[in-house]
Amino acid sequence: MPRAIRRTVSAIIAALLATCACTTLPAADYPPQVGQPHPDVLLPNIEDRAPVALSQFRGKKLLLIQFASW
Amino acid sequence: MPVWHKATKAWREQGKLAVVGITQEQHAQRCRLFAQWQHIDWPILHDPINVTGPSVVPIVMAIDEHGIVRSVRPNVRTFERDFLDRTFEPPTGDSDAKPNPLVAPDLAHAKSAAEQSNTAAAWKQYGDELVLWGGDEQINSAIDAYRRALAIDPDDGDAHFRLGVCFRRRSETSLRDDGDFQRAVDAWGRGLDIDPNHYIRRRRIQQYGPRLAKPYPFYDWVPRAAEAIRARGDVPIELAVLPTGAEIAHPQRRFVEAEHKDASPDPEGRIHRDENELIQTEVVVVPARIKPGESARIHVTMRPDDGRQAHWNNENEPVMLWVDVPDGWQTDRRLLTAPLGDDPESTETRSIELELKAPDNAQETVRVPAYLLYYVCEGVDGTCLYLRQDLPIDITLAP
Repeated sequence: MPRAIRRTVSAIIAALLATCACTTLPAADYPPQVGQPHPDVLLPNIEDRAPVALSQFRGKKLLLIQFASW
Repeated sequence: MPVWHKATKAWREQGKLAVVGITQEQHAQRCRLFAQWQHIDWPILHDPINVTGPSVVPIVMAIDEHGIVRSVRPNVRTFERDFLDRTFEPPTGDSDAKPNPLVAPDLAHAKSAAEQSNTAAAWKQYGDELVLWGGDEQINSAIDAYRRALAIDPDDGDAHFRLGVCFRRRSETSLRDDGDFQRAVDAWGRGLDIDPNHYIRRRRIQQYGPRLAKPYPFYDWVPRAAEAIRARGDVPIELAVLPTGAEIAHPQRRFVEAEHKDASPDPEGRIHRDENELIQTEVVVVPARIKPGESARIHVTMRPDDGRQAHWNNENEPVMLWVDVPDGWQTDRRLLTAPLGDDPESTETRSIELELKAPDNAQETVRVPAYLLYYVCEGVDGTCLYLRQDLPIDITLAP
């Protein structure tokens, strides 16, 4: 692939990575401030590893608990 | 967290509230057992690599029907009035973010994106997706992805932490490579050095670390949970990796030194050495570096060599570990043993843990002499021998 095209493809991919609602999130500034949207996140359910997105719960009031069993 | 579970039961049943947990633990099964024990029936998501980003847990957030955070660490007593009974307006303007599709990400696409862009972010993203969705068989690819990310951005604390999670996970599988556990501890340590206020990283080290540095026993609840579940007639979720040693040890405020009554069982080194390494050993020091006056937990793991059909002989004394503590250093035990197997012969992995405390004036990295003595047999109906393996423990002092 010519270098110019490769650069363009890389830029497009980087832009897509930056804007898509991906599995992972920028870890900075967590938790979000009150009044800000909680970023969507896709993670496996511990029971069956099925994907669960927080956006599934839009339309409901949600209590989100980040925790560990210890 | 149990407080919120109890408090929200009626609201969940009335359809007024959904509850979702995200656990930051390495082992999802342990959290499943916890949920079973506590009758938790709301979904819990697994985030072993901390992609959601909290630096400390627990964090509880009230999020309205539009996805807006309305409270961080809400008050359980005023939660109904302040959140549940209120109506929240949707945010003005359109959100750019599309909801996640409910399918696991396309790993091939993530790989292609990483290869094409060759950025640290893209390699880390690929590593994340491999860890979360790829299963154990993808763990080597995940390690490679994080290493590529770190080659571009060596100061990314998240990537170091996640690499450590991968090494620890691999150490618990058949893909295990010698030194994986120590690599995990080293990587977690580098992640913590980059952000010493990151308690998710700190806790992962403390989970396996010395009692002086422990905030609490991490998994001492496991036997109680299993017993309680059995008592109510259910079968507890079986754990593939049982917590032992440091993971169930209670914190200490003061280092309790071993008494000096024990004597070296082979002071002159007369027992033949295990030249063929019938027993393969691994020594892990947690944390990877300590300061003067601090302690480290030493994990010694022993595995009979499959290739030589080596196995333990259980009709004799148990495995012994002797530690020659240098002047000024302290240990909680000098002579340690690992329990024998139930059958006359066995091939299980055995482990011994001890703690060493550096003197306040320690300045240099030290090599603590130690050795193992064990009965081991080679091959089927082969010779059984009593052998010694010298096992130096290297403790690195932090500058």
